[in-house]
Amino acid sequence: MRDWQPFLGLPLWAWLFVLPTILALACLVAPEPLGRALQPLQRLLDRVYLFSGVMASVFMVTILLLIVAQMVARWSSLTFPGSTEYAGYAMAATSFLALAHALTRGAHIRVSIFLNMGHRFGLWLDGFAMWIAAITATYFARFAIKTNIMSEVLNDRTQGQDFTPEWLLSFFAMFATAPAEWGKLWAETGSDWVYTPVWLPQLPMSIGTVLLALALWDYLCRLLITRRASITSEAVE
Amino acid sequence: MGEIYTTLIFVFVLFALLGSSVWIGLALMGVAWFGMELFTTRPAGDAMITTIWTGASSWTLTALPLFIWMGEILYRTRLSQDMFRGLAPWMRWLPGGLLHTNIAGCTIFAAVSGSSAATLTTVGKMSIPELRKRGYPEYMIVGTLAGAATLGLMIPPSLTLIVYGVSINESITKLFMAGIFPGLVLASLFMAYIMGWHFLAKDQRPEPEPAMSFGEMLSESRFLIPVLMLVTVVIGSMYLGLATATEAAAVGVLGALTLALFQGSLDWLTFRESLMGATRTSAMIALILMGASFLSLAMGFTGLPRALAAWIDQMNLSPLVLIIALTLFYVVLGMFLDGISSVVLTMAIVEPMIRQAGIDVIWFGIFIVVVVEMAQVTPPIGFNLFVLQSMTRHEISYIAKTAIPMVGLMLLMVVILVAWPELATWLPNNLRSGPSGG
Repeated sequence: MRDWQPFLGLPLWAWLFVLPTILALACLVAPEPLGRALQPLQRLLDRVYLFSGVMASVFMVTILLLIVAQMVARWSSLTFPGSTEYAGYAMAATSFLALAHALTRGAHIRVSIFLNMGHRFGLWLDGFAMWIAAITATYFARFAIKTNIMSEVLNDRTQGQDFTPEWLLSFFAMFATAPAEWGKLWAETGSDWVYTPVWLPQLPMSIGTVLLALALWDYLCRLLITRRASITSEAVE
Repeated sequence: MGEIYTTLIFVFVLFALLGSSVWIGLALMGVAWFGMELFTTRPAGDAMITTIWTGASSWTLTALPLFIWMGEILYRTRLSQDMFRGLAPWMRWLPGGLLHTNIAGCTIFAAVSGSSAATLTTVGKMSIPELRKRGYPEYMIVGTLAGAATLGLMIPPSLTLIVYGVSINESITKLFMAGIFPGLVLASLFMAYIMGWHFLAKDQRPEPEPAMSFGEMLSESRFLIPVLMLVTVVIGSMYLGLATATEAAAVGVLGALTLALFQGSLDWLTFRESLMGATRTSAMIALILMGASFLSLAMGFTGLPRALAAWIDQMNLSPLVLIIALTLFYVVLGMFLDGISSVVLTMAIVEPMIRQAGIDVIWFGIFIVVVVEMAQVTPPIGFNLFVLQSMTRHEISYIAKTAIPMVGLMLLMVVILVAWPELATWLPNNLRSGPSGG
């Protein structure tokens, strides 16, 4: 399978699915040393999830502003080309970037009848559910990244009337090029607006799904270390 | 034979994943992956992302976060405090007295919020203590509230209707318009129930309220009037074709912010919390929608929906029998799943079926909302029951018992919808045309 070709000597699926599982099992076997070792990482990750959630809310405000701008434009007989596409991109960014944050706050819903059927059983079931969820989310993230890269390779452009300034594309392209190439990259950047390449709005999808997978593995480890439900819901206030 | 085998595998894997408490959106993705790998030769991962991306970046979906946000803002204002004081003077005259504030309060809040839990919390926070103080029987307070809060799903803006509209690619504005009259009829049924209680259980009536002048009544409801104006603007602009559903939602958010500002309850903290809360809720629904869109794709590849629709067609069921069967099906499903999940989970299968049987899809949207509303108040999993449990400290079984008459009224509503389908279809068919799109 080409999708899982070896990376640094191991097939990709081993990196993505087997190694995190081994880490989770290690957390189960030796909770104390691993708990201490992972704590700084957990604190950092908590901030990352929150930051991603805040970015998601910024995109939510963007949707509002785009739609207000579209209405104002229509009432004053102006045109705002591509407004629906921009709003769609902002919608995707809001949804994907908030996935991990929503998970950590217990906002995602699940059927929890069996979780409440006894403390020990509930913990094991919770761990199992998180493991399945983590694998699914990792699969999701792997193909989100693949699709995102393919959009760039095939130079896939928008079907709508939306444009993006070239400097913005170059800014994000910097992350995918060697620093030695940056001079060349910016030298070739014009001041024009071009049809939006699909990879740009797809970036939040890659980032958001990776964070969701990361959060699931992270909270699975936390559950196995502390032996307490790691995700508590604040849905019912 | 092949279809039965496929269906059984899908259903088994689905229930195994849902039952082991995997998050619903991810469970749907898991089932879809399983189906793709087992029954087709297509590359599952690539097809999955293409579908999910198209769905997640769609313009129609943008109405969802904005309506959630609008509800969140009003939920965090002092609206609930003012709601009871504003409504009480007007409800005193009706037989059944202040119990009607439960129904009227829920109807009004349902018109600014698309969620049933938010409606329940906002209205219940104030009405439960006030009604208890005045000596109304507990079972009437809890029961009417549990039932009326489900109006949040029916009266526009309704998150369930947005999700339904996005799933089957129908105009959200039309669905919203279709929900208005059935929502009001259901509210009247609840009110009729309270009046019936008033006349049948004379010994349970509390003391009548003291009289109040018209001027006092107006000044007590000073905050309700702006909220009613906001409702009128949001729904009216959609009806007159001045705005699409998304634009009406944007107007709603701006209006809610303005109201909160004038009321003095909008500070940086409230703003931030409403925004983050709305972001989380919309991400939650988005994940379910992503899973559901992949599942529909996978089922489409297996040919299952078409085969089932053809099978139903062969049986020559009348639409009435089909509706009865679907009602039973959704009531059972709703015992375990919330409304939005039951809708997205089944649409891939049910949509070809109802189109085949010649049932109007807008009408069906309202029907499905009434049926999943019942699920909110039926045990073992009914979201309104959980919310009420944490608010009143009663046992789930007690709350479920008090809500039984309400479930009966909702079943009556299904009958009314079947008997007079125009109730749902008349308004959307007479919409003024305006900016295209939903």
